[in-house]
Amino acid sequence: MKIRGVFIEDTFAEAFTMRVARLIITGRTARWAREAAVKLTGFATSVIGCKLEAAIERELAGEETPDGRPGFSVLLMTMSKDDLPKRLIERVGQTVLTCPTTACFDGLPDAPDRVGVGSALRFFGDGFQASKVIGGERFWRIPVMEGEFLVQEKFGMVKGVGGGNFLMLARSADAALEAAEAAVAAMSGRTGVILPFPGGVVRSGSKVGSRRIKSMIASTNDAFCPTLRAVTDTQLPEGVNSVLEIVLNGTDADVIAGTMRDGIDAACREGIVAITAGNYGGKLGPHHFHLRKIMAGASA
Amino acid sequence: MSVGITARLRAPLPARADMGAILAGSWAQLSPADLAHRPVRLDGDRSVPFGDLFEITGAPAGRITVQGDLGRADRLGAGLSEGAVVVDGNIGDDAGLAMSGGSIDVRGNAGARAGGAESDGRRGMTGGELLVRGNAAAEPGTRMRRGLVVLAGDVAGHAGPGMIAGTVIVVGNAGPAPGRWSKRGSIVALGPIEIPPTYRFACTYQPDHLRLTFLRLRSRYGLMLDERYLTGCYRRYSGDLAELGRGEILAWTAE
Repeated sequence: MKIRGVFIEDTFAEAFTMRVARLIITGRTARWAREAAVKLTGFATSVIGCKLEAAIERELAGEETPDGRPGFSVLLMTMSKDDLPKRLIERVGQTVLTCPTTACFDGLPDAPDRVGVGSALRFFGDGFQASKVIGGERFWRIPVMEGEFLVQEKFGMVKGVGGGNFLMLARSADAALEAAEAAVAAMSGRTGVILPFPGGVVRSGSKVGSRRIKSMIASTNDAFCPTLRAVTDTQLPEGVNSVLEIVLNGTDADVIAGTMRDGIDAACREGIVAITAGNYGGKLGPHHFHLRKIMAGASA
Repeated sequence: MSVGITARLRAPLPARADMGAILAGSWAQLSPADLAHRPVRLDGDRSVPFGDLFEITGAPAGRITVQGDLGRADRLGAGLSEGAVVVDGNIGDDAGLAMSGGSIDVRGNAGARAGGAESDGRRGMTGGELLVRGNAAAEPGTRMRRGLVVLAGDVAGHAGPGMIAGTVIVVGNAGPAPGRWSKRGSIVALGPIEIPPTYRFACTYQPDHLRLTFLRLRSRYGLMLDERYLTGCYRRYSGDLAELGRGEILAWTAE
Protein backbone atom coordinates (compact mmCIF):
# COMPACT_ATOMS: atom_id res chain seq x y z
CA MET A 1 0.00 0.00 0.00
CA LYS A 2 1.20 3.50 -0.85
CA ILE A 3 -0.28 6.87 0.07
CA ARG A 4 1.01 9.76 -2.02
CA GLY A 5 4.10 7.71 -2.74
CA VAL A 6 4.74 6.74 0.89
CA PHE A 7 4.95 3.02 1.52
CA ILE A 8 2.69 1.77 4.33
CA GLU A 9 4.29 -1.28 5.81
CA ASP A 10 2.17 -4.37 6.45
CA THR A 11 2.59 -4.35 10.20
CA PHE A 12 0.82 -3.24 13.34
CA ALA A 13 1.21 -1.13 16.45
CA GLU A 14 0.91 -3.16 19.62
CA ALA A 15 -0.78 -1.42 22.53
CA PHE A 16 -1.67 -2.17 26.12
CA THR A 17 -4.61 -1.81 28.45
CA MET A 18 -4.09 1.05 30.87
CA ARG A 19 -6.17 2.83 33.49
CA VAL A 20 -7.31 6.32 32.64
CA ALA A 21 -8.56 9.34 34.56
CA ARG A 22 -9.74 12.57 32.98
CA LEU A 23 -9.25 15.75 34.99
CA ILE A 24 -10.87 19.07 34.24
CA ILE A 25 -8.75 21.96 35.43
CA THR A 26 -10.28 25.40 35.44
CA GLY A 27 -8.87 28.78 36.30
CA ARG A 28 -9.68 32.45 36.45
CA THR A 29 -8.21 32.66 32.96
CA ALA A 30 -7.22 30.05 30.39
CA ARG A 31 -3.63 31.00 31.08
CA TRP A 32 -3.71 29.81 34.67
CA ALA A 33 -5.65 26.67 33.85
CA ARG A 34 -3.02 25.91 31.22
CA GLU A 35 -0.19 26.53 33.67
CA ALA A 36 -1.59 23.90 36.00
CA ALA A 37 -2.35 21.46 33.19
CA VAL A 38 1.15 21.78 31.78
CA LYS A 39 2.75 21.14 35.17
CA LEU A 40 0.33 18.32 35.94
CA THR A 41 1.25 16.52 32.74
CA GLY A 42 4.96 17.28 32.91
CA PHE A 43 7.46 14.41 33.08
CA ALA A 44 4.78 11.97 32.04
CA THR A 45 5.90 10.66 28.68
CA SER A 46 6.26 6.97 29.40
CA VAL A 47 5.58 4.55 32.22
CA ILE A 48 9.07 3.25 31.60
CA GLY A 49 10.53 6.10 33.60
CA CYS A 50 7.69 8.39 34.69
CA LYS A 51 5.25 6.02 36.42
CA LEU A 52 2.42 7.38 34.28
CA GLU A 53 1.64 8.85 30.89
CA ALA A 54 -0.30 12.08 30.65
CA ALA A 55 -1.01 15.04 28.42
CA ILE A 56 -3.51 17.77 27.75
CA GLU A 57 -6.47 16.40 25.86
CA ARG A 58 -8.01 19.70 24.78
CA GLU A 59 -8.85 23.24 25.81
CA LEU A 60 -12.36 23.81 27.17
CA ALA A 61 -14.57 26.85 26.90
CA GLY A 62 -16.39 28.09 29.98
CA GLU A 63 -19.64 26.46 28.86
CA GLU A 64 -17.92 23.06 28.93
CA THR A 65 -16.58 23.16 32.49
CA PRO A 66 -18.35 22.51 35.80
CA ASP A 67 -17.72 25.99 37.20
CA GLY A 68 -18.17 27.94 33.99
CA ARG A 69 -14.57 29.07 33.82
CA PRO A 70 -12.07 28.35 31.03
CA GLY A 71 -10.20 25.12 31.45
CA PHE A 72 -8.31 22.17 30.09
CA SER A 73 -9.04 18.48 30.14
CA VAL A 74 -6.13 16.14 30.66
CA LEU A 75 -5.83 12.37 30.58
CA LEU A 76 -3.58 10.55 33.03
CA MET A 77 -2.86 6.87 32.50
CA THR A 78 -1.11 4.16 34.46
CA MET A 79 -0.50 0.49 33.86
CA SER A 80 -2.15 -0.66 37.07
CA LYS A 81 -5.41 0.09 38.78
CA ASP A 82 -3.68 0.60 42.13
CA ASP A 83 -1.18 3.06 40.75
CA LEU A 84 -3.58 5.63 39.36
CA PRO A 85 -4.88 7.00 42.69
CA LYS A 86 -1.34 7.48 43.98
CA ARG A 87 -0.25 9.34 40.90
CA LEU A 88 -3.36 11.52 40.88
CA ILE A 89 -2.95 12.50 44.51
CA GLU A 90 0.70 13.41 44.19
CA ARG A 91 0.32 15.25 40.90
CA VAL A 92 -2.85 17.19 41.70
CA GLY A 93 -1.42 17.99 45.10
CA GLN A 94 1.83 19.34 43.74
CA THR A 95 0.71 21.03 40.55
CA VAL A 96 -2.95 22.08 40.72
CA LEU A 97 -3.34 22.75 44.42
CA THR A 98 -0.29 24.99 44.14
CA CYS A 99 -1.41 26.91 41.06
CA PRO A 100 -3.23 30.25 41.52
CA THR A 101 -6.99 30.41 40.87
CA THR A 102 -7.40 26.81 39.71
CA ALA A 103 -9.96 24.17 40.63
CA CYS A 104 -9.94 20.48 39.72
CA PHE A 105 -12.92 18.35 38.67
CA ASP A 106 -13.61 14.81 37.53
CA GLY A 107 -13.99 14.44 33.78
CA LEU A 108 -15.37 10.90 33.86
CA PRO A 109 -18.54 11.28 35.94
CA ASP A 110 -20.17 8.16 34.54
CA ALA A 111 -17.27 5.83 35.36
CA PRO A 112 -18.37 3.33 38.02
CA ASP A 113 -14.82 2.95 39.36
CA ARG A 114 -14.10 5.96 41.59
CA VAL A 115 -10.79 6.85 43.17
CA GLY A 116 -10.34 9.27 46.04
CA VAL A 117 -8.32 12.38 45.26
CA GLY A 118 -9.92 15.30 47.08
CA SER A 119 -10.60 12.93 49.95
CA ALA A 120 -6.82 12.57 50.39
CA LEU A 121 -5.75 16.09 49.51
CA ARG A 122 -8.16 17.58 52.05
CA PHE A 123 -5.72 16.74 54.81
CA PHE A 124 -3.51 19.54 53.54
CA GLY A 125 -6.18 21.74 55.08
CA ASP A 126 -4.95 20.64 58.51
CA GLY A 127 -8.43 20.35 59.92
CA PHE A 128 -9.65 23.65 58.46
CA GLN A 129 -10.94 22.02 55.27
CA ALA A 130 -14.66 21.86 54.58
CA SER A 131 -16.73 19.97 52.08
CA LYS A 132 -19.82 20.74 50.04
CA VAL A 133 -22.10 18.24 48.38
CA ILE A 134 -23.36 19.80 45.17
CA GLY A 135 -25.64 17.83 42.88
CA GLY A 136 -24.79 14.62 44.73
CA GLU A 137 -21.02 15.06 44.37
CA ARG A 138 -18.75 16.01 47.22
CA PHE A 139 -16.17 18.73 46.76
CA TRP A 140 -13.46 19.75 49.17
CA ARG A 141 -12.62 23.33 49.98
CA ILE A 142 -9.04 23.48 51.11
CA PRO A 143 -7.94 26.80 52.58
CA VAL A 144 -4.78 28.15 50.96
CA MET A 145 -2.98 31.45 51.20
CA GLU A 146 -4.68 32.74 48.05
CA GLY A 147 -8.17 31.79 49.23
CA GLU A 148 -9.52 28.30 48.67
CA PHE A 149 -8.68 25.35 46.45
CA LEU A 150 -11.73 23.43 45.28
CA VAL A 151 -11.24 19.79 44.32
CA GLN A 152 -13.71 17.02 43.70
CA GLU A 153 -13.63 14.19 46.19
CA LYS A 154 -13.56 11.29 43.73
CA PHE A 155 -12.52 10.84 40.14
CA GLY A 156 -13.68 8.26 37.63
CA MET A 157 -11.30 5.59 36.36
CA VAL A 158 -11.82 3.58 33.19
CA LYS A 159 -9.83 1.14 31.10
CA GLY A 160 -8.04 2.73 28.19
CA VAL A 161 -5.40 1.92 25.63
CA GLY A 162 -1.79 3.03 25.70
CA GLY A 163 0.90 2.60 23.11
CA GLY A 164 -0.73 3.23 19.76
CA ASN A 165 2.12 4.35 17.52
CA PHE A 166 3.59 4.82 14.12
CA LEU A 167 7.05 5.63 12.82
CA MET A 168 7.85 8.02 10.00
CA LEU A 169 10.90 6.89 8.05
CA ALA A 170 12.30 9.99 6.34
CA ARG A 171 15.02 10.95 3.90
CA SER A 172 16.19 13.69 6.27
CA ALA A 173 15.74 14.95 9.81
CA ASP A 174 13.97 18.02 8.44
CA ALA A 175 11.51 15.90 6.47
CA ALA A 176 10.84 13.71 9.51
CA LEU A 177 10.17 16.73 11.68
CA GLU A 178 7.87 18.35 9.11
CA ALA A 179 5.87 15.16 8.78
CA ALA A 180 5.68 14.73 12.55
CA GLU A 181 4.48 18.28 13.04
CA ALA A 182 1.81 17.82 10.39
CA ALA A 183 0.69 14.57 11.97
CA VAL A 184 0.51 16.07 15.44
CA ALA A 185 -1.51 19.01 14.14
CA ALA A 186 -3.96 16.56 12.59
CA MET A 187 -4.21 14.46 15.77
CA SER A 188 -4.37 17.08 18.50
CA GLY A 189 -7.31 18.49 20.43
CA ARG A 190 -9.51 15.42 20.16
CA THR A 191 -11.65 14.00 22.89
CA GLY A 192 -10.27 10.73 24.17
CA VAL A 193 -6.70 10.92 22.81
CA ILE A 194 -3.40 12.23 24.08
CA LEU A 195 0.10 12.33 22.64
CA PRO A 196 2.23 12.13 25.80
CA PHE A 197 5.69 12.84 24.34
CA PRO A 198 7.25 16.30 23.83
CA GLY A 199 5.24 18.07 21.17
CA GLY A 200 3.60 14.70 20.59
CA VAL A 201 6.77 13.28 19.03
CA VAL A 202 9.38 10.70 20.10
CA ARG A 203 12.87 10.59 18.66
CA SER A 204 14.13 7.82 20.92
CA GLY A 205 11.93 4.82 20.33
CA SER A 206 12.98 1.91 22.50
CA LYS A 207 13.16 -1.84 22.37
CA VAL A 208 12.44 -4.13 25.29
CA GLY A 209 15.51 -4.80 27.44
CA SER A 210 19.14 -4.23 26.61
CA ARG A 211 21.79 -6.15 24.70
CA ARG A 212 24.35 -5.48 27.38
CA ILE A 213 22.78 -4.52 30.72
CA LYS A 214 20.34 -7.07 32.11
CA SER A 215 18.68 -4.73 34.58
CA MET A 216 17.58 -2.25 31.93
CA ILE A 217 13.97 -2.64 30.87
CA ALA A 218 14.36 -0.60 27.69
CA SER A 219 17.13 0.64 25.45
CA THR A 220 17.50 2.35 22.11
CA ASN A 221 15.68 0.82 19.18
CA ASP A 222 18.91 0.18 17.27
CA ALA A 223 17.13 -1.39 14.32
CA PHE A 224 15.69 2.04 13.50
CA CYS A 225 18.75 4.17 14.33
CA PRO A 226 20.23 5.49 11.07
CA THR A 227 23.71 5.87 12.57
CA LEU A 228 23.78 2.16 13.38
CA ARG A 229 22.67 0.96 9.95
CA ALA A 230 26.06 -0.60 9.25
CA VAL A 231 26.55 -2.28 12.61
CA THR A 232 23.17 -3.71 13.57
CA ASP A 233 20.25 -5.64 12.11
CA THR A 234 18.74 -2.57 10.60
CA GLN A 235 15.13 -2.30 9.52
CA LEU A 236 15.68 0.92 7.64
CA PRO A 237 15.14 0.98 3.90
CA GLU A 238 17.72 2.58 1.65
CA GLY A 239 17.58 6.37 1.66
CA VAL A 240 16.22 6.71 5.19
CA ASN A 241 18.32 9.01 7.36
CA SER A 242 15.96 9.93 10.19
CA VAL A 243 13.01 8.39 12.00
CA LEU A 244 10.46 9.97 14.33
CA GLU A 245 7.68 8.20 16.16
CA ILE A 246 4.30 9.32 17.41
CA VAL A 247 2.82 7.52 20.41
CA LEU A 248 -0.81 7.96 21.30
CA ASN A 249 -2.92 6.83 24.21
CA GLY A 250 -6.67 6.99 24.47
CA THR A 251 -9.84 6.03 26.18
CA ASP A 252 -10.61 3.26 23.68
CA ALA A 253 -9.19 1.49 20.64
CA ASP A 254 -11.54 3.04 18.12
CA VAL A 255 -10.56 6.59 18.95
CA ILE A 256 -6.90 5.63 18.66
CA ALA A 257 -7.42 3.95 15.30
CA GLY A 258 -9.28 6.95 13.94
CA THR A 259 -6.65 9.36 15.21
CA MET A 260 -3.81 7.21 13.80
CA ARG A 261 -5.52 7.24 10.42
CA ASP A 262 -5.59 11.03 10.31
CA GLY A 263 -2.06 11.32 11.64
CA ILE A 264 -0.58 8.89 9.16
CA ASP A 265 -2.46 10.54 6.32
CA ALA A 266 -1.00 13.92 7.30
CA ALA A 267 2.48 12.42 7.59
CA CYS A 268 2.45 10.98 4.07
CA ARG A 269 4.26 13.80 2.34
CA GLU A 270 7.41 14.68 0.44
CA GLY A 271 10.53 13.31 2.10
CA ILE A 272 8.85 10.39 3.84
CA VAL A 273 9.87 6.98 2.53
CA ALA A 274 7.67 4.72 4.62
CA ILE A 275 5.38 4.49 7.63
CA THR A 276 5.79 1.57 9.99
CA ALA A 277 4.85 0.77 13.59
CA GLY A 278 6.34 -0.74 16.72
CA ASN A 279 5.28 -4.05 18.13
CA TYR A 280 6.53 -6.97 20.18
CA GLY A 281 5.37 -9.69 17.87
CA GLY A 282 1.85 -9.43 19.15
CA LYS A 283 2.62 -11.35 22.33
CA LEU A 284 2.52 -8.56 24.92
CA GLY A 285 -0.25 -6.13 24.14
CA PRO A 286 -3.86 -7.10 23.47
CA HIS A 287 -4.54 -4.20 21.10
CA HIS A 288 -3.16 -4.45 17.56
CA PHE A 289 -3.52 -1.52 15.19
CA HIS A 290 -2.81 -2.79 11.70
CA LEU A 291 -1.62 0.12 9.63
CA ARG A 292 -3.06 -1.04 6.32
CA LYS A 293 -6.44 -1.87 7.83
CA ILE A 294 -6.54 1.49 9.52
CA MET A 295 -5.62 3.33 6.36
CA ALA A 296 -8.21 1.37 4.45
CA GLY A 297 -10.76 2.89 6.84
CA ALA A 298 -11.30 -0.19 8.95
CA SER A 299 -11.81 0.16 12.67
CA ALA A 300 -9.20 -1.47 14.95
CA MET B 1 -42.91 11.78 28.32
CA SER B 2 -44.73 11.52 31.63
CA VAL B 3 -44.58 14.52 33.95
CA GLY B 4 -45.38 12.31 36.91
CA ILE B 5 -48.24 12.76 39.31
CA THR B 6 -50.38 15.86 39.82
CA ALA B 7 -52.30 16.42 43.04
CA ARG B 8 -54.84 19.21 42.73
CA LEU B 9 -56.58 20.55 45.87
CA ARG B 10 -60.29 19.82 45.47
CA ALA B 11 -61.47 22.62 47.82
CA PRO B 12 -59.79 25.07 50.20
CA LEU B 13 -58.40 23.27 53.21
CA PRO B 14 -60.92 23.46 56.09
CA ALA B 15 -58.16 23.56 58.71
CA ARG B 16 -54.41 23.37 59.01
CA ALA B 17 -53.33 20.13 57.44
CA ASP B 18 -50.35 18.02 58.45
CA MET B 19 -49.12 16.48 55.19
CA GLY B 20 -46.01 14.94 56.72
CA ALA B 21 -46.95 11.38 55.82
CA ILE B 22 -47.62 11.96 52.13
CA LEU B 23 -44.08 11.84 50.78
CA ALA B 24 -42.17 10.30 53.68
CA GLY B 25 -40.16 7.21 52.83
CA SER B 26 -40.51 5.61 49.43
CA TRP B 27 -43.17 7.21 47.24
CA ALA B 28 -41.70 7.83 43.80
CA GLN B 29 -43.02 4.61 42.31
CA LEU B 30 -46.44 4.73 43.93
CA SER B 31 -49.51 5.07 41.73
CA PRO B 32 -52.07 7.85 42.30
CA ALA B 33 -54.35 5.27 43.92
CA ASP B 34 -51.66 4.20 46.37
CA LEU B 35 -50.74 7.77 47.23
CA ALA B 36 -54.40 8.61 47.73
CA HIS B 37 -54.49 6.29 50.74
CA ARG B 38 -51.76 8.13 52.62
CA PRO B 39 -53.13 10.07 55.59
CA VAL B 40 -53.41 13.80 56.10
CA ARG B 41 -54.10 15.01 59.63
CA LEU B 42 -56.51 17.92 59.89
CA ASP B 43 -56.38 20.24 62.88
CA GLY B 44 -54.07 17.87 64.67
CA ASP B 45 -56.56 15.09 65.31
CA ARG B 46 -58.71 14.03 62.37
CA SER B 47 -57.03 11.86 59.72
CA VAL B 48 -58.34 11.86 56.16
CA PRO B 49 -56.95 10.19 53.06
CA PHE B 50 -54.85 12.38 50.77
CA GLY B 51 -57.19 11.43 47.95
CA ASP B 52 -60.19 12.96 49.74
CA LEU B 53 -58.58 16.38 49.74
CA PHE B 54 -56.73 16.24 46.43
CA GLU B 55 -57.58 14.97 42.97
CA ILE B 56 -54.59 12.80 42.11
CA THR B 57 -53.82 12.02 38.47
CA GLY B 58 -50.91 10.97 36.27
CA ALA B 59 -48.42 8.14 36.46
CA PRO B 60 -45.44 7.56 38.75
CA ALA B 61 -42.24 9.06 37.35
CA GLY B 62 -40.46 10.22 40.48
CA ARG B 63 -42.16 13.60 40.36
CA ILE B 64 -45.27 15.11 41.94
CA THR B 65 -46.78 18.53 41.37
CA VAL B 66 -49.07 19.78 44.12
CA GLN B 67 -51.51 22.48 43.10
CA GLY B 68 -53.84 24.77 45.05
CA ASP B 69 -53.62 27.17 47.97
CA LEU B 70 -51.45 25.22 50.38
CA GLY B 71 -50.76 28.04 52.79
CA ARG B 72 -52.41 25.94 55.51
CA ALA B 73 -50.61 22.74 54.51
CA ASP B 74 -47.75 22.00 56.87
CA ARG B 75 -44.90 19.50 56.81
CA LEU B 76 -45.20 18.70 53.11
CA GLY B 77 -42.11 16.75 52.11
CA ALA B 78 -41.23 15.89 55.71
CA GLY B 79 -38.75 13.04 55.64
CA LEU B 80 -38.48 13.26 51.86
CA SER B 81 -35.76 10.96 50.58
CA GLU B 82 -36.36 10.74 46.83
CA GLY B 83 -38.03 12.28 43.84
CA ALA B 84 -38.90 15.79 42.78
CA VAL B 85 -41.73 17.71 44.44
CA VAL B 86 -43.12 20.87 42.86
CA VAL B 87 -45.48 23.03 44.89
CA ASP B 88 -47.35 25.25 42.49
CA GLY B 89 -48.05 28.06 44.95
CA ASN B 90 -47.54 28.82 48.63
CA ILE B 91 -46.82 26.21 51.27
CA GLY B 92 -47.33 26.21 55.04
CA ASP B 93 -44.87 25.57 57.84
CA ASP B 94 -42.14 22.95 58.07
CA ALA B 95 -41.90 22.14 54.36
CA GLY B 96 -39.14 19.59 53.75
CA LEU B 97 -38.80 18.93 57.46
CA ALA B 98 -35.75 16.73 58.05
CA MET B 99 -35.65 15.67 54.41
CA SER B 100 -32.73 13.50 53.41
CA GLY B 101 -32.89 13.50 49.62
CA GLY B 102 -34.86 14.50 46.56
CA SER B 103 -35.93 18.05 45.83
CA ILE B 104 -38.77 20.43 46.67
CA ASP B 105 -39.43 23.41 44.43
CA VAL B 106 -41.91 25.81 46.01
CA ARG B 107 -43.14 28.26 43.38
CA GLY B 108 -44.60 30.62 46.00
CA ASN B 109 -43.92 31.56 49.61
CA ALA B 110 -43.06 29.17 52.44
CA GLY B 111 -44.05 29.21 56.08
CA ALA B 112 -41.77 28.88 59.05
CA ARG B 113 -38.90 26.45 59.39
CA ALA B 114 -38.64 25.39 55.74
CA GLY B 115 -36.07 22.62 55.55
CA GLY B 116 -36.03 22.52 59.33
CA ALA B 117 -36.06 19.96 62.10
CA GLU B 118 -38.58 18.32 64.37
CA SER B 119 -38.88 20.37 67.54
CA ASP B 120 -37.10 17.65 69.50
CA GLY B 121 -34.87 16.53 66.62
CA ARG B 122 -31.11 16.94 66.80
CA ARG B 123 -30.85 17.25 63.05
CA GLY B 124 -32.88 18.91 60.37
CA MET B 125 -32.22 18.26 56.69
CA THR B 126 -29.58 15.65 56.00
CA GLY B 127 -29.70 15.88 52.21
CA GLY B 128 -31.62 17.01 49.17
CA GLU B 129 -32.50 20.43 47.85
CA LEU B 130 -35.29 22.82 48.84
CA LEU B 131 -35.99 25.85 46.70
CA VAL B 132 -38.49 28.53 47.72
CA ARG B 133 -39.01 30.99 44.89
CA GLY B 134 -40.95 33.45 47.04
CA ASN B 135 -40.43 34.67 50.59
CA ALA B 136 -39.87 32.47 53.61
CA ALA B 137 -40.96 32.87 57.20
CA ALA B 138 -38.47 32.56 60.03
CA GLU B 139 -35.97 29.82 60.77
CA PRO B 140 -35.40 28.11 57.44
CA GLY B 141 -32.74 25.40 57.57
CA THR B 142 -32.96 24.83 61.31
CA ARG B 143 -30.25 22.41 62.49
CA MET B 144 -29.59 21.19 58.97
CA ARG B 145 -26.80 18.66 58.69
CA ARG B 146 -26.39 18.52 54.91
CA GLY B 147 -28.25 19.64 51.81
CA LEU B 148 -29.18 22.90 50.17
CA VAL B 149 -31.91 25.41 50.98
CA VAL B 150 -32.36 28.23 48.50
CA LEU B 151 -34.67 31.13 49.36
CA ALA B 152 -35.12 33.28 46.30
CA GLY B 153 -37.07 36.00 48.11
CA ASP B 154 -36.76 37.54 51.56
CA VAL B 155 -36.49 35.71 54.85
CA ALA B 156 -38.27 36.90 57.96
CA GLY B 157 -35.15 36.18 60.01
CA HIS B 158 -33.14 33.62 61.94
CA ALA B 159 -31.96 31.73 58.85
CA GLY B 160 -30.10 28.52 59.59
CA PRO B 161 -30.29 28.42 63.38
CA GLY B 162 -28.10 25.71 64.85
CA MET B 163 -26.78 24.57 61.47
CA ILE B 164 -24.46 21.58 61.66
CA ALA B 165 -23.48 21.71 57.98
CA GLY B 166 -25.09 22.29 54.59
CA THR B 167 -25.89 25.50 52.77
CA VAL B 168 -28.65 28.11 53.02
CA ILE B 169 -28.71 30.66 50.21
CA VAL B 170 -30.83 33.79 50.55
CA VAL B 171 -31.24 35.83 47.39
CA GLY B 172 -33.34 38.59 48.93
CA ASN B 173 -33.10 40.17 52.36
CA ALA B 174 -31.72 37.61 54.80
CA GLY B 175 -33.22 39.40 57.77
CA PRO B 176 -31.88 39.52 61.31
CA ALA B 177 -29.92 36.98 63.30
CA PRO B 178 -28.77 34.52 60.64
CA GLY B 179 -26.69 31.50 61.57
CA ARG B 180 -27.15 31.73 65.31
CA TRP B 181 -25.64 28.77 67.15
CA SER B 182 -24.37 27.21 63.95
CA LYS B 183 -21.47 24.78 64.24
CA ARG B 184 -20.58 24.48 60.56
CA GLY B 185 -22.34 25.12 57.30
CA SER B 186 -22.73 28.13 55.04
CA ILE B 187 -25.24 30.91 54.90
CA VAL B 188 -24.90 32.73 51.61
CA ALA B 189 -26.48 36.17 51.36
CA LEU B 190 -26.85 37.79 47.98
CA GLY B 191 -28.86 40.66 49.44
CA PRO B 192 -28.82 42.58 52.71
CA ILE B 193 -27.87 40.66 55.83
CA GLU B 194 -27.27 41.60 59.45
CA ILE B 195 -24.11 39.91 60.61
CA PRO B 196 -24.49 38.72 64.22
CA PRO B 197 -21.91 39.93 66.72
CA THR B 198 -20.77 36.36 67.24
CA TYR B 199 -19.42 36.20 63.68
CA ARG B 200 -15.99 37.60 62.84
CA PHE B 201 -14.91 38.98 59.46
CA ALA B 202 -12.21 36.91 57.71
CA CYS B 203 -11.67 38.18 54.18
CA THR B 204 -13.23 39.16 50.86
CA TYR B 205 -12.76 36.52 48.16
CA GLN B 206 -14.39 34.46 45.43
CA PRO B 207 -15.57 31.06 46.69
CA ASP B 208 -15.38 28.69 43.73
CA HIS B 209 -17.94 26.30 45.16
CA LEU B 210 -20.65 28.94 44.88
CA ARG B 211 -20.20 29.06 41.12
CA LEU B 212 -20.87 25.32 40.98
CA THR B 213 -23.97 25.71 43.12
CA PHE B 214 -25.33 28.66 41.16
CA LEU B 215 -24.73 26.91 37.83
CA ARG B 216 -26.57 23.88 39.17
CA LEU B 217 -29.50 26.05 40.24
CA ARG B 218 -29.54 27.48 36.75
CA SER B 219 -29.47 24.14 34.96
CA ARG B 220 -31.64 22.13 37.36
CA TYR B 221 -34.28 24.69 38.36
CA GLY B 222 -33.92 27.44 35.79
CA LEU B 223 -33.11 29.88 38.59
CA MET B 224 -31.21 32.55 36.73
CA LEU B 225 -29.09 34.38 39.24
CA ASP B 226 -27.40 37.51 38.03
CA GLU B 227 -23.91 37.00 36.63
CA ARG B 228 -22.49 39.35 39.27
CA TYR B 229 -23.18 36.71 41.90
CA LEU B 230 -21.14 34.18 39.95
CA THR B 231 -18.22 36.41 39.23
CA GLY B 232 -18.29 38.70 42.25
CA CYS B 233 -16.65 38.70 45.65
CA TYR B 234 -18.03 37.66 49.01
CA ARG B 235 -17.21 38.82 52.49
CA ARG B 236 -16.54 35.79 54.65
CA TYR B 237 -17.51 35.82 58.32
CA SER B 238 -16.64 32.89 60.57
CA GLY B 239 -19.01 31.80 63.30
CA ASP B 240 -20.96 31.25 65.33
CA LEU B 241 -18.05 31.88 67.67
CA ALA B 242 -20.38 31.26 70.59
CA GLU B 243 -20.49 27.70 69.27
CA LEU B 244 -17.94 25.59 67.36
CA GLY B 245 -17.27 28.54 65.06
CA ARG B 246 -16.59 26.58 61.91
CA GLY B 247 -19.59 27.88 60.06
CA GLU B 248 -19.57 30.84 57.73
CA ILE B 249 -21.65 33.64 56.34
CA LEU B 250 -20.73 34.56 52.80
CA ALA B 251 -22.15 37.96 51.98
CA TRP B 252 -21.97 39.10 48.38
CA THR B 253 -20.36 42.48 48.02
CA ALA B 254 -20.37 44.89 45.12
CA GLU B 255 -16.84 46.04 46.04
